[in-house]
Amino acid sequence: MSPFPDELERRCPRLGGPVRFAYCRTAAARGGVCPKILDCWWERFDVVSLMRKALSGEAFARLSQPHRPPNKVASLIDLIRQARERTGQAP
Amino acid sequence: MEPKSIILPQDRMPRQWYNILADIRLNPPLGPGGKPIRPEDLAPVFPMNLIEQEVSSERWIDIPEPVLDVLRIWRPSPLTRASRFEKALGTPARIYFKNESVSPPGSHKPNTAVPQAYYNKVFGIERITTETGAGQWGSALAFACAQFGLECKVFMVRVSFDQKPYRKAMMQTWGATCVASPSAETKAGRDVLARDPDTPGSLGIAISEAVEQAVSDPSGKTRYSLGSVLNHVMLHQTIIGLEAREQFKMIGVEPDVVIGCAGGGSNFAGLAFPYVLDKINGRQIDIFPVEPAACPTMTRAPFVYDHGDTAGYTPLLPMHSLGHTFVPPPIHAGGLRYHGMSPTVSQLIDEGLLVPRAVKQLASYRAGVLFARSEGIIPAPETCNALACVVEEAEKAKAEGREKTIVVSFSGHGLLDLGAYEKYLDGQLSDVGMGEEQLAEAMATVKDYPRPAHLKSR
Repeated sequence: MSPFPDELERRCPRLGGPVRFAYCRTAAARGGVCPKILDCWWERFDVVSLMRKALSGEAFARLSQPHRPPNKVASLIDLIRQARERTGQAP
Repeated sequence: MEPKSIILPQDRMPRQWYNILADIRLNPPLGPGGKPIRPEDLAPVFPMNLIEQEVSSERWIDIPEPVLDVLRIWRPSPLTRASRFEKALGTPARIYFKNESVSPPGSHKPNTAVPQAYYNKVFGIERITTETGAGQWGSALAFACAQFGLECKVFMVRVSFDQKPYRKAMMQTWGATCVASPSAETKAGRDVLARDPDTPGSLGIAISEAVEQAVSDPSGKTRYSLGSVLNHVMLHQTIIGLEAREQFKMIGVEPDVVIGCAGGGSNFAGLAFPYVLDKINGRQIDIFPVEPAACPTMTRAPFVYDHGDTAGYTPLLPMHSLGHTFVPPPIHAGGLRYHGMSPTVSQLIDEGLLVPRAVKQLASYRAGVLFARSEGIIPAPETCNALACVVEEAEKAKAEGREKTIVVSFSGHGLLDLGAYEKYLDGQLSDVGMGEEQLAEAMATVKDYPRPAHLKSR
């Protein structure tokens, strides 16, 4: 049995539609936890303790520590670099 | 008798967008290695004419005639007095809504989709890719591309693709291709599917797929399009507020309060930025971007971001150290750290020109239902957030016995979001998931901790 309340549902502010908790656990790049998971679920259940148990110390620290989210333009440039690497294109 | 709606004649439609970058200072975004990003760094995904707008500091930018020609399909949008809503609220406030739900896709999004499609077309681009969540942006871009004879490819996050078949049908009707993401069409999608064939997808994967298709087209005729956050998106949306200012001039009224829901910031910015210019020039006006209290980006630091200790588990956040769900003290986020919010909106909050507000889910739907029953139009769930703030301001006006004029951005209709209304009407939605007993237990545990300090905006 999954230790996660995967069937719980809420409206995702990024997608604009309903999602289950299971989605939030895998919604980030490379199947990682959505960076907003603590913000979105704290009112519903003790998501902090749950994620602390579920993630490695390093991954939980990344999720919970103070950080500045990347600027959208900088993110796009990183996505361009990644796409070029995936498709074997020279910059 | 004042007309219900103030209709701006098409020959008085604004001919220029307002660029707020002329009036505020922003740190330049930094790329890899901490170096400032150059315009050419974005050239693989955007045409240079749009990149020039992204970095422009010209205050007024001409709207090309072919863009105006398409916008005229539904613009100028009506500025409508919500007199029945006022009556239902019993308020002395005068409430106006700028109705962006009248666009063909039903939201404000084509205000930027249309110019983006146009600038791509004149740059020689033949195909535009994008990602979409629930499909509002994807359908807006599909509509815009159809107007300029461009191919449009939309990667729709699978979980929404399965939930929202009508959005997909809208895109296809306008000639776009809509595929569930992850797809087998890109390396990014194939890699994800190989790891997890049943994945619901995510916006991150969909963006990667859309960018990959733009970057890897050997003909160089494909670009990518984004519908929120970026400066040029905010710029294009200012036609909302510029029209509203003209419409208020027609009836000799000036708004005291401007309200809009802010997700990525674009519909809010569209209505508000021209009024921010007025405020910068000394006019007294309250401008409120509104967000859901349950997942805030503007009104409260996302959980632990602003805490001094490394792990953020100081007694100031008792729920962390004690493992309880507990309503944390609302802490102003401060600085440009709002996830997914436009940098320009964030900056204006920091400067005190905007005061962010948060509303609870049930209050939001209650406002939306009251609006639908009084004014007839069913608002999109995000629009309901703005309407909940309108209700708060209208009730405040009633308590103070003050007449004031409120204008709200009615960003879209909710006809493709009826599932959310169904849940609200069936009593399936709640503001807090905890039971009373659990809440009492949590509160007892933290009774000696500092009392939550409320933001001035709440």
